[in-house]
Amino acid sequence: MTERVPIMRMGDNLIVMLQGDLEDGTVEQIEREVTREVARTQARGALIDVSGLSVVDSFVARIISRIVAMIRLLGSDATIVGIQPAVALTLVELGVPLKHVATALSAEQGMARLQGRRREPAR
Amino acid sequence: MSLPAEETQVVPIAAEADLLRVRSALRAEAQDAGLSLTAATKPVTAGSELARNIFRYATHGQGVATIERAEHNGRRGVRATFKDTGPGIANLDEAMRDGFSTAGSLGLGLPGSRRLVDEFSIDSHVGSGTTVMIMQWGR
Amino acid sequence: MQVALDGELAFYQQMVDGITDCEVVRLDETGAVRTWHEGAERLYGYTAKEIVGRPMSVFYTEDDVRDGRPGFDLRTAAENGQCVSEGWRLRNDGTQFWAACTLTPIRGAGGTLYGYVRITRDHTERREQEIEMRAVERMLDAITDYEVIRLDAEGLIRSWSPGAERLKQFTAAEVMGHHVSMFRPEEDIRSGLPDRELASAARIGRFEAEGWRLRKDGSRFWANTIVSPINDESGELIGFVSVGRDLSEKRAQEQLVQRQQEEILELSTPVIQVWDKVLVLPIIGTLDSARAARLTEGLLERIAAEQAEVAILDVSGVPAVDTEVAQHLLKTVEAARLMGAVSVLSGVRPETAQAIVHLGIDLGSLRSRSNLKEALQLALSIVGATTVAVSGD
Repeated sequence: MTERVPIMRMGDNLIVMLQGDLEDGTVEQIEREVTREVARTQARGALIDVSGLSVVDSFVARIISRIVAMIRLLGSDATIVGIQPAVALTLVELGVPLKHVATALSAEQGMARLQGRRREPAR
Repeated sequence: MSLPAEETQVVPIAAEADLLRVRSALRAEAQDAGLSLTAATKPVTAGSELARNIFRYATHGQGVATIERAEHNGRRGVRATFKDTGPGIANLDEAMRDGFSTAGSLGLGLPGSRRLVDEFSIDSHVGSGTTVMIMQWGR
Repeated sequence: MQVALDGELAFYQQMVDGITDCEVVRLDETGAVRTWHEGAERLYGYTAKEIVGRPMSVFYTEDDVRDGRPGFDLRTAAENGQCVSEGWRLRNDGTQFWAACTLTPIRGAGGTLYGYVRITRDHTERREQEIEMRAVERMLDAITDYEVIRLDAEGLIRSWSPGAERLKQFTAAEVMGHHVSMFRPEEDIRSGLPDRELASAARIGRFEAEGWRLRKDGSRFWANTIVSPINDESGELIGFVSVGRDLSEKRAQEQLVQRQQEEILELSTPVIQVWDKVLVLPIIGTLDSARAARLTEGLLERIAAEQAEVAILDVSGVPAVDTEVAQHLLKTVEAARLMGAVSVLSGVRPETAQAIVHLGIDLGSLRSRSNLKEALQLALSIVGATTVAVSGD
């Protein structure tokens, strides 16, 4: 399955779209491509848009975690965007540790976060 | 992929692509039972986890998933059985205990899968294999 | 005479210099600032060098200046011997605060106006509390089978409600300004019970008791009353709220309301949007797995639909928080976070907090507030909707 992995550039940030029902191999391929793109473009941040994923099992969740970790190791920032309600519930029930991953509801909010627009969370 | 929901679908689990097939079958059957797309996510995810276990731990060609329609007292549901003739689980109690899945790796994700579905049963013997049955009812 | 007056004023100024939590300054006969001190600097943000000699209008908002308010206040003080006013005042950095001001004219022996003394206090928080109290009162007036009465710090009745009138048969005019013990039977008054109960409420933060109350026609009824103290920002007691109900009618009515509530909860997802991007999920009663799952699903779907950034989980209606409930809460919080929404717990009573700690549950970075108002304030600050400007920065 060698479909082109959809990675778009927006300013100095990248947006990766994960959608449909992905095979394990495709997911791993995406992981490699995203890492390569982030390194090549020296992107400041990456949005991983999963709003098109209706099922995220523990394997996919782990890969997403890894993608985020690798992006961070490359010195960039990463935000997961668009986790659907059903997916959020499922991930919590499965006990998947996505605790240290930044999340946002929409691409718009995700971009705002990446662009460092500070919202003062009170103590 | 809008496969018509047949009464029973049998998916042998030998290659990675079979996981996709299991998810599709589960999704179709769940919707047929009246579950919304959102509600169907739970059994589909649980099924994905269980099918992947077979793919990972059982030798190729030793596992099969059976997805079928269920009915009881006017309610419709979906039942999926994951059977393999793999090594079997040595300590079933430990595998089903919650703490087990959170220690380091996620193990077999069995407790998590159980939480996602309405009914869950597991039978496993070392040397002869494992059978997991899950069931989800429409509202 | 001038020298003597100056000497007196100098002594006065010395005393004033020690005051730091409010302002006491002298203005000349046109209202321009003549003296300044630390308390004034704290309040208005000007140093003495910056403000002495400037006209009084710099402290007023643009609207007030346009309406001629500064001059009006000075004239009122000069004519009536004092001018007491409340309103928005401006600080040096342009931010506003709600001030309580007193202007008093200073006259010489012949009656010549030498200037004014101005005292200003910051009542911003007090005003917010009063506004909220009035909003709460309006809401409570809608309740007719409970009575909600506000008392001042001495126990005199300051507000009456339709529910109170229905219960006790007195009209507002007949009770205002009277002591709340007027509804107590003689034997209670003789044993000093009403005063002891108020004192207890003030000390502990709440007093609940059952006892006989008198209606206007002299008949008695058995009532349940909860008295809570109201304090201002400095912790000083400014009054009480007393909530009472007739227990004899209560039972049948309660069961009916309970049944109706349960039906409503079954039918709808009780998620309320209280502000742009802020949702409240009031959790009432006991939670079983199925119900908890439904509440959580409903909340998550609303988060997605409204693009909400903050979800307030209000547990004030949960009688007991056990491990199961706590775990449901935590799962809901985690799922909401995966969707990019921050959760705030509200209505956490001391007993609830204790229960959670004793259960060994780690709430992590989950923020929690004791009541909905505070949780809402936190939520608003998170979405960047504060209406009170923050000085500095």
